[in-house]
Amino acid sequence: MLLARRSLLAATALAVFAPRRARAAGKRVAVIDWGHLETCLALGVVPVAATELRQYREIAVEPAPPPDVADIGLRGSPNIELLRMIAPDAILISDFYEYQRPLLERIAPTVNLPVYQPGKPPYALAERSTRAIGGMFGLKAEAEAFVAAAGAEIEAIGQRLGQVARHPIFIVSLGDSRHFRAFGADSMFGDVIARLGLENAWTDRTSYSAAAPVGLEALARVPEASVAVIGPTPPEVRRTLAENALWSALPAVEQGRAQELAPINHFGALPSALRFARELERAFGGEGRAG
Amino acid sequence: MPANMRLSPLAFWALAAAAAAVLFARAVITGWPSAGGVEGRLQEIVLTHGTLPRAATAMLAGATLGLSGLLLQRVLRNPLAEPSTLGVSAGAQLAMAAATIHAPALMAFSVGLVAFAGGLFTVALVLALTWKRGLEPVSVVLAGMMTALTANAASAALILANGEYLFSLFIWGGGSLTQQSWGPALSLAVALAVGLAASALLLRPLALLSLGDAAARSLGGAVSLSRFLVIGVAVWMATTVAAQVGIIGFVGLAAPALAALSGARSLKQRLVLAPVIGAILLWLTDGLVQFFAGPGGERVPTGAATALLGGPLLIWLLPRLKLFEWPSLAGGAAQARRAARPLVLLALLAALACIVFAVAIVAGRGPDGWTLASGQLLADLADLRIPRLVAAAGAGAMLGVAGVVIQRITGNPLAGPEILGVGMGAGAGLAAVLLASATAGLGWQMGGSALGALAVLLLILALGARGGLGPERLLFAGIAANALCSAVLTAIIALGNQQSYMLLQWLSGSTGRVGASEALAGLVGLCLLAPPLFLAARWLDLFPLGPAAARSLGLAVGRARFLLVACAALLTALAALFVGPLSFIGLIAPHLARLLGLGRAWQQLLGGLLIGAALMALSDWLARMAAFPYQLPIGLFAALLGGPYLIYLLAKGAERHG
Repeated sequence: MLLARRSLLAATALAVFAPRRARAAGKRVAVIDWGHLETCLALGVVPVAATELRQYREIAVEPAPPPDVADIGLRGSPNIELLRMIAPDAILISDFYEYQRPLLERIAPTVNLPVYQPGKPPYALAERSTRAIGGMFGLKAEAEAFVAAAGAEIEAIGQRLGQVARHPIFIVSLGDSRHFRAFGADSMFGDVIARLGLENAWTDRTSYSAAAPVGLEALARVPEASVAVIGPTPPEVRRTLAENALWSALPAVEQGRAQELAPINHFGALPSALRFARELERAFGGEGRAG
Repeated sequence: MPANMRLSPLAFWALAAAAAAVLFARAVITGWPSAGGVEGRLQEIVLTHGTLPRAATAMLAGATLGLSGLLLQRVLRNPLAEPSTLGVSAGAQLAMAAATIHAPALMAFSVGLVAFAGGLFTVALVLALTWKRGLEPVSVVLAGMMTALTANAASAALILANGEYLFSLFIWGGGSLTQQSWGPALSLAVALAVGLAASALLLRPLALLSLGDAAARSLGGAVSLSRFLVIGVAVWMATTVAAQVGIIGFVGLAAPALAALSGARSLKQRLVLAPVIGAILLWLTDGLVQFFAGPGGERVPTGAATALLGGPLLIWLLPRLKLFEWPSLAGGAAQARRAARPLVLLALLAALACIVFAVAIVAGRGPDGWTLASGQLLADLADLRIPRLVAAAGAGAMLGVAGVVIQRITGNPLAGPEILGVGMGAGAGLAAVLLASATAGLGWQMGGSALGALAVLLLILALGARGGLGPERLLFAGIAANALCSAVLTAIIALGNQQSYMLLQWLSGSTGRVGASEALAGLVGLCLLAPPLFLAARWLDLFPLGPAAARSLGLAVGRARFLLVACAALLTALAALFVGPLSFIGLIAPHLARLLGLGRAWQQLLGGLLIGAALMALSDWLARMAAFPYQLPIGLFAALLGGPYLIYLLAKGAERHG
């Protein structure tokens, strides 16, 4: 019963919009930011070109780009010559890539849709950029529906999780067997946690900002917290973590409340937010039975 | 410690140790288990498996590095030898990066072994490169610097190409002492014990080694064997530290020097004092890092902090080191074969450069493979390719002439523009701008780089002024500036955020972002800064004769040096904005020019300019094409083109001075 409802929601969220070429709306778009790439694909817009697709398929995973999307190289230095040969009608960037604008403008009009701004919870910005992308491609209704469906699904997951997950939760990615990166309220994961009605055990800002990676002992400051580890975790870390006395002594680890999630784009938009919420439910949905 | 300090050295170190102990006691007291239940149990584990082993690791790592540095300095008779100046750390990092990506099983098997293999390889390379030059200190340090820069560029390229997965390498590069077990402390204790035992056994050969090869050989003793044995042990100790806690600079360099300055005369005394001072240095630094930690974690990793503290220490320390041997710097440059028709040769070089430019503009890869562009596509692509090409070639030209100036002033054929440290200064400036705002525009980024380079230039001129900017001073100042700026860069790259990626890109050299206005700026810079050098060609002709001869021929040596160094530094800084701090081209181009027979200064300048421009343009084209559509760093290709030549040059052992 529960599962049926979930997959129905998932269907509304992702599969309702049959993939259509952006050309249909008269626009061939190239996408620099992965968050926008996710959003485009979720709305059924297939860009002509996007960055680092090899890495995207491993880290962001879904929605998967069709094989004929051209890979234009690194996000930090996209291949301008190739872009010129592809000759898109528009280029989508975010604040991270604003510095590339002078070069990109020479190829095609470049649109900056912010998702991440310092200190701001990104979910609302992601909603706004989703609507903006919908507007660009004549998919306003679809964008609106996607935003609504994503919000509804997150709320539903929140209700279900709220009944079983009673602990605050750390969202981390493991760098090595001694350090982690924490996701605070200014990250997409932190924002989603708040929307799910869960408590983020990391009260500081995301450690992406100016601070060194955090030592694992910081996890002991909130002893009762659960731990969600965003993949991918390097194999040697997984091995040595088991021998780490502190890690093994954490109540979350002892009680099976430290779970590894599948890889998720750290700087994603709504599709990543959804993927995170679903992964969280998959990992922690049964927590009530565990503790 | 300085003589005017009324404190005896031993009292000084006792005070430093006491300060470290107070900081440690504070950490223990604040972390003392106070709560009951689960929380208390966790606090206890943090104390026994975190705070305590961390202090032990800090002391052991410091002592191990101090001993490793002492052994290396002793056996190479080179007070600047230490794991990072010899490229050990950079080699270990490259090996670990490569293994993480291509052989994760190897990393899971033994990180220490991978690091050791990488470190040993770079040291072997550096020693092999300088063997024929009698392991003469300056050559060893310069070769180490080049090897380290190349390894760093390669690591940067690997990290860039693989993104997220190498978060661990960022952390590792910063050198964090955070602990959750006694494992690393135990490994370090073993390394230190083995090192101490080996030093005790090799005490006699070690003492002989410091006498110099000839004297040592006449006294018997298998000099080479014990030399290699000691180097092997020292490298193993250093890479053990690297594998357990990451890169920690300066301790290996500073501890033995401070031991000597603290009055340790005999080898035995130094073998005791250097590790002790190393332990105190690192323990104190780590205590300070923990003391200033915020709620979100430590602000800088300890390894980066040691470098930040060590930079000024090094600047203070270096002029006080009287132990330096400077054989190669005094000698005049060997006379190379003179070309019969230099003008024809220069015209040929110009034609060659033009051919490279033409190929780089017309030929390229597209979605459907190799294409020769024509028509409208060519016009559009040329619009994109020409600025890049101009920037790359311009940077190559600038490095070429700067290299000629530096090599002529120092009389050292292994010196290149990077010994000035201004390239890294540009990086530190860029880092500061990016740290202030991750979304800073290109104008701001360029401004920051220029200011950073300028600051380093002023530092060099100020540091070097007392010695009349002599070659020794120049090298001192350059090493200190390079080390300080690398520390700033490492600290920021260790954050592993968006800015880190941009810095890595700059570090490995990327012309991808250059537009018409930047290319124009570069060209204007070249046109403003290069011609004065041609006007000063007579000075450059005189310098290789030695200061005395130059002075007797009417050259105001000090002032001429000042102007030339300032000019070369500005050229290097400007080039670094476009192609990063790796300036192999600045080392190679002047060499090739001289090898071709362009012996007069103006000829060598023009030849170096043309060769530098052509080589850099070629590097840029290869960087664009090799992994299309992914763009590789230009610095890497510059190194790949220049590296083999450098090896050939050094292995040949030609142009040995002194």
